[in-house]
Order: sequence, then structure tokens, then C-alpha cells
Amino acid sequence: MATARFADYIARDTRNHGMALRFSFPPFPVVGMTRATLRKYVEGNDPTTGKPLMLELIDALTKPLTKAEKNPVRVRRPGRARLLETDAEENLHRRFLESGWTDGLPIVLPTEERVAEMLTGTSHAADEVVGMMTITHLEEKLQYTVEKVAVNAVMAGARPEHFPVILAIASTQEPSLPSSTTSFGRMVMVNGPIRDEISMNYGLGALSPFNYANAVIGRAWTLLSLNLADARLGETFMGSTGHNLNYNNMCCAENEEKSVWEPFHVEKGFKREESVVSIFRGWSVINSMGAANCVRPATEETAIMLQAFPALRSAVTLIMDPLVAKGLKEQGFRTKRDVARWLSENVQITAGQYWGADINYSFMGPVARQGVEPYATWAKLPKNELIKPYVDPNQMNIVVVGGESNPLWLTTDFLYTQSASVDKWRPKGGIRRDEHPLRMPVATSCADGTCGLPG
Amino acid sequence: MLQATTGSLTGTVLDPRGQPTGVFEPASMAPRLDTLNGKTIYLVDVGFGGGYEFLEEVVGWFSRNMPAVRTVLRRKRGNMFLDDPELWAEVKDKGHAVIFGVGG
Repeated sequence: MATARFADYIARDTRNHGMALRFSFPPFPVVGMTRATLRKYVEGNDPTTGKPLMLELIDALTKPLTKAEKNPVRVRRPGRARLLETDAEENLHRRFLESGWTDGLPIVLPTEERVAEMLTGTSHAADEVVGMMTITHLEEKLQYTVEKVAVNAVMAGARPEHFPVILAIASTQEPSLPSSTTSFGRMVMVNGPIRDEISMNYGLGALSPFNYANAVIGRAWTLLSLNLADARLGETFMGSTGHNLNYNNMCCAENEEKSVWEPFHVEKGFKREESVVSIFRGWSVINSMGAANCVRPATEETAIMLQAFPALRSAVTLIMDPLVAKGLKEQGFRTKRDVARWLSENVQITAGQYWGADINYSFMGPVARQGVEPYATWAKLPKNELIKPYVDPNQMNIVVVGGESNPLWLTTDFLYTQSASVDKWRPKGGIRRDEHPLRMPVATSCADGTCGLPG
Repeated sequence: MLQATTGSLTGTVLDPRGQPTGVFEPASMAPRLDTLNGKTIYLVDVGFGGGYEFLEEVVGWFSRNMPAVRTVLRRKRGNMFLDDPELWAEVKDKGHAVIFGVGG
């Protein structure tokens, strides 16, 4: 049984799995409904057929299999031609948009010449398979080559200099918009020398639309997720509200130079001189909305914010301005791990709040029933009993991004998923920069505050 | 290349989509029961919110309307994405049919 909202999805999904299971569809939603409503659902009709739900269910179990059910047909989607039909430019733009191959914004059409130019941004062969992706768990994965990634990089407006980073992201085989009714958001962060080689922004306004590299790399991940991970609205993508982060995926770089702590990629086992992308997945971002240590230290302020999250798997990623990091280090937090441990030990919510979160009910409820601690104990606590839900400080991440205009930060429930090497994808002769590389204005600043003043 | 012809640009571009990998191996469905009376039907909660309570109502419906049907309500051991071979073995051993729910 699946709720009627997913009847279309199920019809398509049965093809993918080669077995047309018999389904009955109660009305939706089921989650959050009273017992009286659920009983009405059971005693009422399947909204997709109009037939009494329980009679349909009994028929599903008792009516003999049809000829088609006994002989399921093997279906395979045809391979796609490399080139689209020749057409006028405006028709091609229309086709890309109306086919759902874009994010709704104008794209750069991926002509053979443009794609060939993008391919000079890596030493890898155009026909090398980079990976396979789907935005769902069990749908058919699409396979993609270096050239396919180049096509989507061109569409995003990227240049060959950005291509190693985009290939590194593609090599993770993780889409930027995994399909869930809950609507995930993503972050992609870059570490290492590549940041300056391609002039990424990791200072003032790094997460805002003021940097070309940040913009096109983040966008490229979205486009290659739409096209290489088979994202089709209502067919494979079911995000109920969607997530606005899906446009750029918080693409930024870490401000390693201004950070008082180890860079994120070094924490994850890479050498400082390696260039790496790291990706994260979650739902929520809370702005500190005010500077650290004004009334409360950043740790206490963050602890308050973390109480709003379900604390699933202890996932936290703090995106903090270098000034926040400096302040915390002065307060005695010698490492990022010290901050994570403090939060783990000091954030408390009630057991009722924890188990009342749908996502904990679904994912940690089974873990508790299997007897895994501390969840098994938490499941037996009175609702008002306090627990410390962030049990694993190793899942609590800190990245340092920002331009030191004030000690401010973002608190997110983002889970770190993986990192991938950018260096693997570099061209042999070094990063392929244009003769006059495109660069947006950078923030001007100087220590004595005189730059920018007239005279 | 986009070329100018009669005042508008015309060109050939690459398809941006990945290649289907798909060989789908169809599996046959289990034969149907001639009747549910006297049979044991497992109802398996896959883990989405509200699903267990919904299936409890299905159990209630059977007890009110078809008391000759024996129902066994179970939760999957893990979350909705995980396998549960022990439960499948129990269902095969002790049950005649299974209803999974509620997706979505």
C-alpha cells in the first residue's frame, strides 16, 4: 500500500523494477492523521480507483494473476544520441527549458565547440565513465562520461578552469537534489590551492551572488543532477516544497588562511596542499542573526539553535566567520573538535521532542527497537525527561567561511557525506585559464581602512 | 557551432542527459490465494509516519469483518530503505500473504 499521492510514481517505478506489484492506495496524508481519520481511510475508497479500499486489497491477494503479470515484459529505455537535432538557437533554448533540462535560468547552449573547449579543462578522456546517479534510492541510474559532465558545465556558464572542481563533484555520484518529500538542501565546499587558482570567494559574502566561480560550480552541480541523475518533477523528484538551496548548493570555499583551526579537508585526512571538494546534505539553515558574545557566547547561542533540530545522527555543520572561530579559540576551544564536544555535552531536549520528530520516529525508532543505545533507553523515558541528542561529536562539523565584517555564523543540520579529490581531474599542463579570465569585483579592504576613500 | 542563417543562429548541440544503464530483470509474482479465510496475513509497517497506526486499523477491519483471517502486524527492523531478511523468512515460514505499507 502507498498513499494515493504516489500512485503515478508507483506506476513508473514498477517498470523500473520489472515487477508490477499489486497496489492499493489509501488517501493521503497518512502521517499525522487521527485514528478516526485513518479508520475512515480504511473503511472508505481508494481515491485513484473509487473502489472500496479493503475489497481492493482482498482482490489483490486473491484474484488470479493475469497473463501479463505472469509474463512480465523486460523494458529498457533506449540509449540517447550524442547530438540533438540541428535547430535554430531560440528553438534549442526553448527545447532545453521545456524538456526540464535546465534550472529555469538561461543557459549556455552546449555546442560541440564549447564542449570541446570545456574538455581542455581536464586530462581525462571525453568517453571516460565518471559515474552513475539517480536522485532516488532505487530508480534506474543514469551513466555519465567526462563529456556529459562537460555538457552540463557549459550549460551552467562555467569555463575550463572550473572543470576539475565540477568533475570532482560529479565523481561523488551524489546528486544535489536527492529526492525526498522532505526536500533536501546541499552544500559543496572547496579546500586547497584550487580556491585561489580559480578565484573562488571564501571571504566577505562568500555565500552570496558575488563570485563567478562559486556561482557556476554550484549551478553546474544542479544541472548535472537534473540531467545525469534523472530528476523529473513529480516523476522522480517529490520534494513537497522543494528547497531553494537547490539552485546553487551553498557553493563556497573555506577561508583557510583566516581560520585559527585546521582546514576541513585536513581534518578528513587530506594534505593541506591537496585540493578537495566536500559535500553535505541537510534541511535547515539558521542565521545567528547577531554577533557572537554580545550577550551570550557563540557556543551557548548555537546550543539554543540546535534545540530546534531533530538531531538526526548528530548531524550539525556550523559555517562560521573567522572572527567567531578566533573568539572561540580565545575562550579555550583549541580545536573544532573541542567545540563539537562542548555542544554534544550541553545541548539538551526532551525525549518527547526527540521522538516526536517524524524523521527520528522513522529512522531511529527501529534502531531503538533493536536495542541500540542510547536510543533504546531514550525510547522508554517519560516525555519530559531531558536527553543529550547530539551523541556523536564526530558528526558535528565546523567550516570557516566569511570576511570578518562581524563574528556571525550559520547553524545547519547538514550531514557531511564525503570528499573527493579535485587534483585527480586537473589537466596535465595546469589549470586552463582563459586569456582574460572572467572575474567579478572583489571586496576591497586594507588594514588601515583608507582604501576606497576619495583623494 | 551556431551559424547565422537568414538573421537567426542555427546549430547543433549535445544532449545533456545521462545514458540509461537499465537492464531490468523482471521477477515473477507469487501466486494468489483462493481465499483469505483461515490464512495468516502479515502486515508489515515499512516505517513512514502514520503507517503503523494505519495498519492497526486494517487489523481492526479484518477482526470486525473477516474474523476467520489471522493477521500479524510487524514493523520492519530497520528504516524504510533497509532490508529485513529475518522478517521475510518469518513471513515465508508462518504467513500466507503479506501487505506492506504505507509508502509515502
